[in-house]
Amino acid sequence: MATVLIGVVREMLQKVPAPRNVFVPFRLGQIFGEAGQEIQQRAVLMDTLTAFARVSAPGTILDLPYRWKRSVYRDPL
Amino acid sequence: MLSWIYTRVPALSRRFAAGLDAVVGPVPWTPARVPLERATVALVTLAGVHLRGQPAFDMRNAEGDASFRVIPGTVFPADLTITHDYYDHAAADRDVNIVFPLERLRELAAAGRIGGVAPRHVGAMGHILRGEERRLVGESAPAIARLLQEDGVDYVVLSPG
Repeated sequence: MATVLIGVVREMLQKVPAPRNVFVPFRLGQIFGEAGQEIQQRAVLMDTLTAFARVSAPGTILDLPYRWKRSVYRDPL
Repeated sequence: MLSWIYTRVPALSRRFAAGLDAVVGPVPWTPARVPLERATVALVTLAGVHLRGQPAFDMRNAEGDASFRVIPGTVFPADLTITHDYYDHAAADRDVNIVFPLERLRELAAAGRIGGVAPRHVGAMGHILRGEERRLVGESAPAIARLLQEDGVDYVVLSPG
């Protein structure tokens, strides 16, 4: 099984990396977005899943470009 | 109160990360061989999510609780709850998908973006120390890996609280 870890503390992903890592600059307790914001949550989850195709070196961190409410989220559906 | 402050002051999390021991040795690696559109995906959260009918995580042990709870892939969000005193989960109590996006995963499967949703997912706790860390590494993590393998899971999304 292949794994990806999503996190909100980049330093932690650097220090104890999983095989694939995704950094999103959100708060603890709101890793996948804001309550009730389904498009935002789907976009973050889908971007996290793309790490399986995009990452080829162990420990790589992908930085998601989002800025909480200030970003436009594209619905993957 | 402490969890509220910890959640809203990212510098505290960064300071905690700075104090962690660096990983010694190579990062493990399993290649991703299956196209996402054909992959069975499971969620493993450390946000303290579990079924309302399951035992709560033990918040009295200062070393944490390395046990885990199996969550069916078909569960209704209203049947889930969160036991975790080390982060502010007030928002996640209103919408559990922000720490455990099972409904979003089901939508991606229905749209054909992933192959399928695993029949079983896992809720566990972060903030695991010393003896409980040894139990996590020696017992819980291998048991979680076994049950996901039994279900034919290809890809696992790990997330903290």
